[in-house]
Amino acid sequence: MTKITEMPAVARGFISNLDLPVVDEPDWTVPSPPQERRVSIVTTAAVSRRGDKPFSWLARDHRVFNKNDRDLVMTHVAVEFDRSAWQQDLNVIIPLDRLEEMANDGEIGSVADEHYSFMGAADPVTMEKSAREVAVRMKQEGVDTVFLIPI
Amino acid sequence: MCGLAHYFESEGLATVLVGFVREQMEAIKPARSLFLDFPMGRGMGKPNDPAFQKKVIRAAFDLLDAPAGPVLIDFPEAIPVRDGRMGYALPPDLVLSTSDIGDIDNLLAEIRAEMKELQPDYEAAVVSRGRTTVGASELQIGDLAPFVAEFLTGKIPKSPRKGLPAIPLLKLVVEDLEAYYSETRTHRDNIDDLELMGKWFWEETKAGRLLLLLEAISIASDSNVMRQIVEMSLMAPRFWSEGPLPGTSAAGW
Repeated sequence: MTKITEMPAVARGFISNLDLPVVDEPDWTVPSPPQERRVSIVTTAAVSRRGDKPFSWLARDHRVFNKNDRDLVMTHVAVEFDRSAWQQDLNVIIPLDRLEEMANDGEIGSVADEHYSFMGAADPVTMEKSAREVAVRMKQEGVDTVFLIPI
Repeated sequence: MCGLAHYFESEGLATVLVGFVREQMEAIKPARSLFLDFPMGRGMGKPNDPAFQKKVIRAAFDLLDAPAGPVLIDFPEAIPVRDGRMGYALPPDLVLSTSDIGDIDNLLAEIRAEMKELQPDYEAAVVSRGRTTVGASELQIGDLAPFVAEFLTGKIPKSPRKGLPAIPLLKLVVEDLEAYYSETRTHRDNIDDLELMGKWFWEETKAGRLLLLLEAISIASDSNVMRQIVEMSLMAPRFWSEGPLPGTSAAGW
């Protein structure tokens, strides 16, 4: 396991200096039964549909993509993560095909039409307004389960 | 990402999260989280391996059965990383200076030839995958290296893209250039090796050399933003370096 204290110097410096939000009493939502779940993905990979406005470096906003979109580009500012995996297979960061298979097999209820992307380099506290807008939109299409995947 | 989970959970949505930095997950306490001992950029573990990807998803979704939380468990399989780093890092001593810039036109000609040689395999990769990630900058592939080279004069050129200034565009151009090379090589040689890919592009190709020269000119730049790009490790992959970053004092490391 890679621990912060064992990371190489530059990464250790960046990560250990981050301010982490502390939540005293975290909320807890009771999940729906597996076969009824409608799942939406939230990624912090700063991906968007080709032609969408690129993310700014400290973006607070989000982009929306459809479950059938595959022509996505990435405008993430950081370079600490490998890009070659998602270049080969979108599912390694946004597993839309896997979720669709699981829905077809009855492991989950359905895959949402809409999925959401944020800029992972930005402070999540600044994204609260945007995240709550996303939550409203999710509930409007019957989503009850959110799968969050960082980059 | 952990912070976002709290917002969604408080909106009445059940969340499950995967993550790479366990200490952060322990501190922020999202409702349900699965720690992955994987390199960053590979949340579902392995490209083109549906069985492995589904194993990760199922392990994450199993957490939705937990009666109470926060709950944090470890995915049982690890994908090894090298020397504690979760991505490729340039060797700390591979740093070019402005005196290495030389004949820019000659370097551009070499890059043109290099990219032309890769072109058939790049096109085959796009056909095979049905997609490409090249194009975030919206510049033509043949215009990527020349745009970067304009910065080597020490001046910041005019952005050819309406609504996007030259420096943010430069960042996207660098990404597109690297993606052109790595999409080609992973397909042509049927390899999935992030260390090998980083080493090849950054240490062996002419395009990589162009970007290291860009780093050199950025350090010497009058522009705070250009210097910050280097100091924040936003262009050349030095985040996982033993440090120090070029142009910075070694004191903090």
